Amino acid sequence: MSCIRLAALCLAMSAMAGCQQPDPGADQSEKVYRHAIDGAPSSLDPAHADNVYAATLVKNLFDTLYRYKYLERPYELTPNLAEGFPEVSEDGLVYRIRLRDDARFADDPAFPDARGRPVTAQDVVYSMKRHFMDETRSRGAWLWRDRIAGLEDGVEITDPEQPVSGLQAVDERTIRIELTEAFPQFTHTLAMALSAIVPREAVEHYGQEFGVRPVGSGPFVLERFDQSLAVLEPNPHFDRGTIQLDEEGYDADRHAGYGLAAINGKPYPLLDRLEIHFITEPTARWSSFESSRGVDVVMVPPEMADRVLETRQPLSLQPSIRERYHSLTGLEAGFVFHGFNMANPAIGYNDDPQRERRNRELRCAMRDAFDWSAKNKAFYHGLGRVFAGVIPPLLDSHDPQVAENSIAHRPERAKERLQAAVWQGESLPRLTYGLEASVQQRQMFEQFRAWMQAVGFPPGHFQPRPFASFGEYARAIGQRELDIFLLGWTLAYPDAQYALQLFYGPNAAPGANSMNYANPEFDRLYERAASMRAGPDRTRLYRRLNRMVIDDCVIIGSLARTRLHLWKRHVRMLPDREMVGGFFLRFVDVSDDRP
Amino acid sequence: MTLPKPEQPWRPAPETLSLAIVLTYLVAAAGVWSGLWGTEWAAISGELHQPPSAQHWLGTNRLGQDVLQRLLAGAATAFEVGVVVAVSTVVIGASIGGVAGFFAHGLIDGVATWLIGTIDAVPFYLFVAAVAVALRDWPGAMHLAMILSFWTLTARLVRTETMRLRHREFILAARAGGLNTFRILLRHIMPNLAPLLLVQSSLVFVAAVKAEVVLSFLGIGLQDSISWGIMIAEASQEILAGHYGNFLAASLALFGLVLSINRLTDRLQERIDPRTHASAHRKLP
Repeated sequence: MSCIRLAALCLAMSAMAGCQQPDPGADQSEKVYRHAIDGAPSSLDPAHADNVYAATLVKNLFDTLYRYKYLERPYELTPNLAEGFPEVSEDGLVYRIRLRDDARFADDPAFPDARGRPVTAQDVVYSMKRHFMDETRSRGAWLWRDRIAGLEDGVEITDPEQPVSGLQAVDERTIRIELTEAFPQFTHTLAMALSAIVPREAVEHYGQEFGVRPVGSGPFVLERFDQSLAVLEPNPHFDRGTIQLDEEGYDADRHAGYGLAAINGKPYPLLDRLEIHFITEPTARWSSFESSRGVDVVMVPPEMADRVLETRQPLSLQPSIRERYHSLTGLEAGFVFHGFNMANPAIGYNDDPQRERRNRELRCAMRDAFDWSAKNKAFYHGLGRVFAGVIPPLLDSHDPQVAENSIAHRPERAKERLQAAVWQGESLPRLTYGLEASVQQRQMFEQFRAWMQAVGFPPGHFQPRPFASFGEYARAIGQRELDIFLLGWTLAYPDAQYALQLFYGPNAAPGANSMNYANPEFDRLYERAASMRAGPDRTRLYRRLNRMVIDDCVIIGSLARTRLHLWKRHVRMLPDREMVGGFFLRFVDVSDDRP
Repeated sequence: MTLPKPEQPWRPAPETLSLAIVLTYLVAAAGVWSGLWGTEWAAISGELHQPPSAQHWLGTNRLGQDVLQRLLAGAATAFEVGVVVAVSTVVIGASIGGVAGFFAHGLIDGVATWLIGTIDAVPFYLFVAAVAVALRDWPGAMHLAMILSFWTLTARLVRTETMRLRHREFILAARAGGLNTFRILLRHIMPNLAPLLLVQSSLVFVAAVKAEVVLSFLGIGLQDSISWGIMIAEASQEILAGHYGNFLAASLALFGLVLSINRLTDRLQERIDPRTHASAHRKLP
């Protein structure tokens, strides 16, 4: 048996070769924290930061006007680059935001004398405008299109100096933003990585390279960035005073045992060096975490659930794990789902109404053939929460009453649908299934294909198309090259509108509506809901929109994952990346008793 | 009076055992090609991570797929890759090497030698990765990359041997008889190199099978198929949780095939042409 273990160890070591070794530049006396995430961003330009991997870095290299409080739950906004909360007009249309006076961009050759300069209101205006410039190739314009006056659909900014009526720098430190209609979630959008502030000089100096040579005013500057590792060091110009834990939502009972009290009153960031390791394979992340010189935090991979968990109901950890590590468990503020590309006439919208109806039956049949329970067991510890539609259980507007047909495994119903819509054998369309090139994603594809073959899809009708990185994969989805794709969607703010915007017509790819769903009735109701304040009426509308997505079989979904974080005892933090995203990294501390 | 010589118990010669093992693999692969078994390698036929049982002789993997079905289909993949790469490599290598050797030190030889040197200068896995990315939507990308890398060694060997043979009397006689270069190469030189090419093709076969496993393990090999390399890659997700089925099945299968073919190659070489022993044992990646 020892030979087997040795061989197993060798195999595991080979799997994680090149991704777990600490960067040789690290000094032993420095406070170094080694973070791990499960994908590598292809660009660190805020205009491309529509995924959790890029957002994790962007929120630490750049500043957003607002951020979420580190420890407060439910999640609560707090000013970041802004001096205070915006002054909003009575009708909810005009926002005035004042910037703090001590924010400076990091030193960089893009500036005269390579010295960073203060962040101004003009930078905020430029940063938002550039989403509408063709050369930016923004993945975030959908966030403000039709919402900010002067940035209506079809408007394109060709010159940074081009005036936009709803976006003005009143003076050096004051921004005035005018909306086309009330949008209560607007301030939340200003906490998203997509809204981070960039200096025009650097964007113009680096051009296309800005994505790998980011220059911002955030707590860190980039020292190294490649497909396996990003190394960040403190930005000497970043001075936001000291950490006031009470203001961050610290609760001595709720946060007992994490050692967080030790960071109170200290200036931040607290680290000398922040390493972010991009490790796609879950077991490689785990192996790195178990190594004394590996990463300091891990999201427990499903394969390890039996070794880590003592019981699943209720969720509890093995005593040895509790003893060695800090832990945090909870349902994610998001979900995973399989999307269909509705823009492909072979599976989505079609000029022929009869074919379009048959396509709907085809998508619904694929949804019926899908087995969420098996997927949950194989890939999510069996701890994920499967729910119908796209409003996750974490939100108040989640609809527990919605029929669960859309998440039930009903292969017989799938066959009936296919037969009724005259779909059989070779007449079924050949579809491209996109995936990241990893073992887990390949297995997910094999599982998906097996279910589809079981209801009558011939072998070879699903063509897998692997991508080397998440960035490449996301780009292909944005360019409508894939027919079926697995996506995770993490809420950037605690409101169902953020999930439902995935289906809003004007947000079609390369925007957030990767499915290219185009339903005028949905769009009309969505627009109505978006300007409503929270309340029962809006909740009813949200749930109606949710049912429309289910009825049209636009996605196969969804599942909210249970996050199970473990981190080493010498690290003082709460690595909750839901909503807070990467903001927590500025508050991470490492005690002196690091082994 | 002499004592009767005690009867030696019959023991199969090592090469007999190797041949039997290779034939077993071949039968396994042939069964897959003819649809007798191994065709359901992608089907989910059981619960996940089941131990060996009457229904699943080698158990099931993380998805509930039968490990034995995947192992058998992997054997077919190994033979497909090995044969395609070995045959193509030897044909290309022999053709280019033969022509270069026949016209040694001329323009054709110069170009061929430069090409061989250039390709050999590129690290194998880097080259394969580049080809795999460039032709990522084409299922034969990995085969092509291996062929483009492996033919150079055969070409070098054939070139050297052809240079040695081209001044022999029987070649001069053939020339005097009016045979053109192509016919001389085909009818007089290549038959003399047959033992070398046979040994070389078996070495390339083994190298291709091993390379496929490594490339598939790294995720740059086969994309829509099953192979032992893919099984070992999957095992990297499972062994830490104590599931060894995929790992043991695929790695032992690979070990058995490679060892047996290597052994057979050695014996073949010794029997056919002991002179080529040293040169044919140059390492492939």
